[in-house]
Amino acid sequence: MYNMISVKDLHKSFGELEVLKGIDAEIKESEVVCVIGPSGSGKSTFLRCLNLLEEITSGQVIIDGEELTDPKTNINNLRTKVGMVFQHFNLFPHKSVLENITLAPMKVKKMSQEEAKEIAVQLLDKVGLSDKADVYPESLSGGQKQRVAIARALAMNPKVMLFDEPTSALDPELVGDVLQVMKDLAKEGMTMVVVTHEMGFAREVGDRVIFMDEGIIQEEGDPEQIFTNPQNPRTQSFLSKIL
Amino acid sequence: MIDALMDSAYIKSIPFLWEGLKITIGITAVGLFFGIIIGTIVGLGKLSKLKIIRAICTVYIEVIRGTPILAQALFLYFGISEDLIGLNLNAFTAGVIAIAVNAGAYIAEIVRGAVYSIEKGQHEAGRSLGLTKGQTMRYIIWPQAFKRMIPPLGNQFVISLKDTSVFSVIAVQELVYKAKQYYNATFDIFETLVMVCIFYLIITIPIGIILRRLERKLDV
Repeated sequence: MYNMISVKDLHKSFGELEVLKGIDAEIKESEVVCVIGPSGSGKSTFLRCLNLLEEITSGQVIIDGEELTDPKTNINNLRTKVGMVFQHFNLFPHKSVLENITLAPMKVKKMSQEEAKEIAVQLLDKVGLSDKADVYPESLSGGQKQRVAIARALAMNPKVMLFDEPTSALDPELVGDVLQVMKDLAKEGMTMVVVTHEMGFAREVGDRVIFMDEGIIQEEGDPEQIFTNPQNPRTQSFLSKIL
Repeated sequence: MIDALMDSAYIKSIPFLWEGLKITIGITAVGLFFGIIIGTIVGLGKLSKLKIIRAICTVYIEVIRGTPILAQALFLYFGISEDLIGLNLNAFTAGVIAIAVNAGAYIAEIVRGAVYSIEKGQHEAGRSLGLTKGQTMRYIIWPQAFKRMIPPLGNQFVISLKDTSVFSVIAVQELVYKAKQYYNATFDIFETLVMVCIFYLIITIPIGIILRRLERKLDV
């Protein structure tokens, strides 16, 4: 199958501190890859390198055939192919739910307002929030905010969706709705990279699990295998603490 | 009774002081208009990635904030325009420039602080959707930052309005200058100065009330 993302020897340092110490990974079209690991392992940094929210120190990232680090690549254009969902939602508080979703299609893709609105209404329906189009983010619960954030990213019709701990800031009873939206998305064949602490989700929805620690991929493989029979001692120790 | 009041020094000074108030408001309004433009450019300049731009903006802000506006006005009117380049700058124009340059430095700090206070995640969300740096600033950061600028901007307006009084030393015909002219001729010193204060307060008190309302409404 087609390689949607390929990462070769990716290094990332913040000053003296090397956070990523050589990551190699390939993610196929329609694959759902869950990245797990202890905090400080570099998993969020890895994800943020995939749409250049972090500058890459060295190495290569190719997304849908385009090299991220090539100076000739139009990074804004490439980012429209890569949707990102943040832990803290990062909705625009001064814009209504509908405007949050229509802003980028109108300004980046130059869609008309009607066209963008039509897409936004469909997406809100998809995430179960059709009745919230005209409210402002502050009146939504965390779970609703995150679903709006997913709809906002989907409005650009991305080929890949990156999720950076999408449920970590939510009250436990609100996690389910967000995970359901993500499951639906996976079923539709979206390529997804999910940094998560939701082991149940990783096990059920993930096609593959990557375990990261100390800036490298320690172990990867089929979720069943990783969760029931981890080979690497670090994986064993991490899983024994959280499961 | 009414005749006595109408005949009092308080009332008689009004038409004369009114001329000064018009100049005071004119200098403040035009000066702040340019001050906001300067402040916005310099404030954003202080957030630039380029060190040289940041350095220039810092020097401007520190020099202006670290010296009194009276010295700046004298420097501009006598020091630069008369002594250095031999230009006969109109006093009103000198006042406008002094307010613009002075308020510009303070407004720059207001702009920088407000833009800096917007969470980094807002910028990242914009960029991750494919918006350019400029679009992210224009549609996402600036509208939120602007709300936070309103209270301190209003404060600066009041300060600049009062600062125009120092321009009497360069013979700008503003409110205080007119008052001095008036009481030097009539010797109604107390009455004239009471009226001067009332004139300032008529403008500054409503601005204060509007600001407090806005602050509550914007919840900042």
